[in-house]
Amino acid sequence: MDFFRLLLAGVREQRMLFGLMAGFALFPAYTAYADLPFWNDVAMRIMLLGMAAMGLNLILGYGGMVSFGHAAFVGIGAYCAGISQFYGLYNGWAHLALSLGVCGILGLVIGFLALRTSGIYFIMITLAFAQMLFFLFVSLEQYGGDDGMSIDRAEFVLFDLYDPLRLYYLIWSTLLIISVVLLFLVRSRFGVVLQATKNNESRVEALGLSPLGFKVTGYVISAMICGVAGTLFASWQEYVSPDIMHWSRSGELMIIIILGGLATLAGPLLGAVVFLLLEEFLPELLYLIAPDYAENWMIIFGPIMIFVVLFARGGLIGWISRFGAQRIYRQGDGR
Amino acid sequence: MTLTLLLEQIFNGLQSGVMLFLIAAGLTLILGVMNFVFLAHGAQVMIGAYAAASLTGITGNFYFGALAAIPITFLSGYVLEYLLIRHLYQRDHMDQVLATFGLILFFNEMIRIGFGPAALFSNLPPSLSGFVYILPDTPYPVYRLVVIGAGLVCAVGIHYLVNRTKVGAMVRAGANNEAMAAALGVNIGLLRRFIFAAGACFAGIAGVMLGPLTAVEPGMGEPLLILSLVVIIIGGLGSVRGAFIAAVIVGVVDTLGRVVLPLILRSFMEQSAADGAGPALASMMVYLLMTIVLVVKPTGLFPAKG
Repeated sequence: MDFFRLLLAGVREQRMLFGLMAGFALFPAYTAYADLPFWNDVAMRIMLLGMAAMGLNLILGYGGMVSFGHAAFVGIGAYCAGISQFYGLYNGWAHLALSLGVCGILGLVIGFLALRTSGIYFIMITLAFAQMLFFLFVSLEQYGGDDGMSIDRAEFVLFDLYDPLRLYYLIWSTLLIISVVLLFLVRSRFGVVLQATKNNESRVEALGLSPLGFKVTGYVISAMICGVAGTLFASWQEYVSPDIMHWSRSGELMIIIILGGLATLAGPLLGAVVFLLLEEFLPELLYLIAPDYAENWMIIFGPIMIFVVLFARGGLIGWISRFGAQRIYRQGDGR
Repeated sequence: MTLTLLLEQIFNGLQSGVMLFLIAAGLTLILGVMNFVFLAHGAQVMIGAYAAASLTGITGNFYFGALAAIPITFLSGYVLEYLLIRHLYQRDHMDQVLATFGLILFFNEMIRIGFGPAALFSNLPPSLSGFVYILPDTPYPVYRLVVIGAGLVCAVGIHYLVNRTKVGAMVRAGANNEAMAAALGVNIGLLRRFIFAAGACFAGIAGVMLGPLTAVEPGMGEPLLILSLVVIIIGGLGSVRGAFIAAVIVGVVDTLGRVVLPLILRSFMEQSAADGAGPALASMMVYLLMTIVLVVKPTGLFPAKG
């Protein structure tokens, strides 16, 4: 079986990613043992943000396209669930299919138009599309407008979400599938060409390939992954509002990726873990030092981001692998 | 819709356009000359607004507060460039987005700690709080006219600075080809710091003038930042003239859209729904405009790089 041989090789190479996935698989057992059901919620949020960041990383990290509007696709995915429920369609699989379709078509249109530009202009045009969609949903009063709409958890035929653990494992298995898909994708011919366009677009063209086609395809796939994350996010939050597609959410996705490590498979997930743990623990840490300022934890978080940019190039993954390389080097030296 | 209302809204649009220009003028040079994605420019607006509001509160004199705030914003831009920004020029856009996003969080939180989360409101001195009649039966606030006037004076000043002075010639040379400008003996490092500080100063002036018109609160700069990014993209990166034209267009479209669109929507919607949807759709129009410009002319209306 060629597929399984490749999969096994991939798992061995991406120990960090599949190690994290194994950790997430076992995590509910720990929270049940320690009686911390709240942390299941945090873990679900980590996985959902990690999923969206993985989708964005396909074009941001591997394709070198700095999209500053990917939260829009997360939001569209969430509204696919919300609006379907508004019209009485509660089937979660239908929501996911709808989300894949809508985000795919939207990604195709936006990607095709936006990829006519590059550099700063590309950053800004993706932001503009995201802002358009944001204000569109703010203006749609029948779907809650600014205030958003409360929804129920979707009904998945084989996965009744009545039990929160089922939602947990639904999110987990979706993340696993997406990880495996991305694992194969970045090593396929498509993935190699996409990474080549990041390095030098004219050389790719000189080899007789059309970079635009590859870039648009990458954009569409990443939009669809973000859409899936959004649809599941709606079920997790049981609430949809335009806030999910605010431009600062797109910024957060980028932070997560750069924090974890650009153009790595495990990076976005690791980044999401650290990002959300900081969000949970910084206020408590600050409370110990200066109780009056516990809610102002961002005063520490902002500089952390700046320090990551300045000193931890390659993100946490880069840092870890440098550390590992150093250790191996020292061992070799001592022999 | 009456002529009076239309005229009033065009003036309001002009006023918001002039404000946007003051913010965008520095930003377009930062993006155009230095190829640097600076998201914390909105924080400079906030710093200017807070400096003016608190100095006015301490001294009791609006004019003193407004004038004293301007050097403070210049200094904040200068120090920021020296401490952080100059280390980021060689990085790629993503690193710049991330680091300046971190700056936004930091500045907003600093202000929240220093001044509290609630909005500050500053009162206008009596000499600025009256109305004048721009048409026989159309009263218009004096202060907004003063803002338009001051903004236009700044615009002329920036135009003179960029097009008629030696520093301006260096700035334009840098926008066109930085390596060549450096080879001809322009001190690029110093030029960059000057542009940064001047840009922060203009953004600060916008903040000072906006203070009495809007709520002065943490995070007030971000919506303005996003709009001025739209302005500089429509106008063309690095082009001060383009920024001015685009700022007026965006200001008028945004302001008029907020008034006209609900009226149009009312003809086929319920009034409450139309009033709710109108402003959001007006905001959307600005981005639609930018997208159309970019699709038709991918480098904006008046690109500076030849």
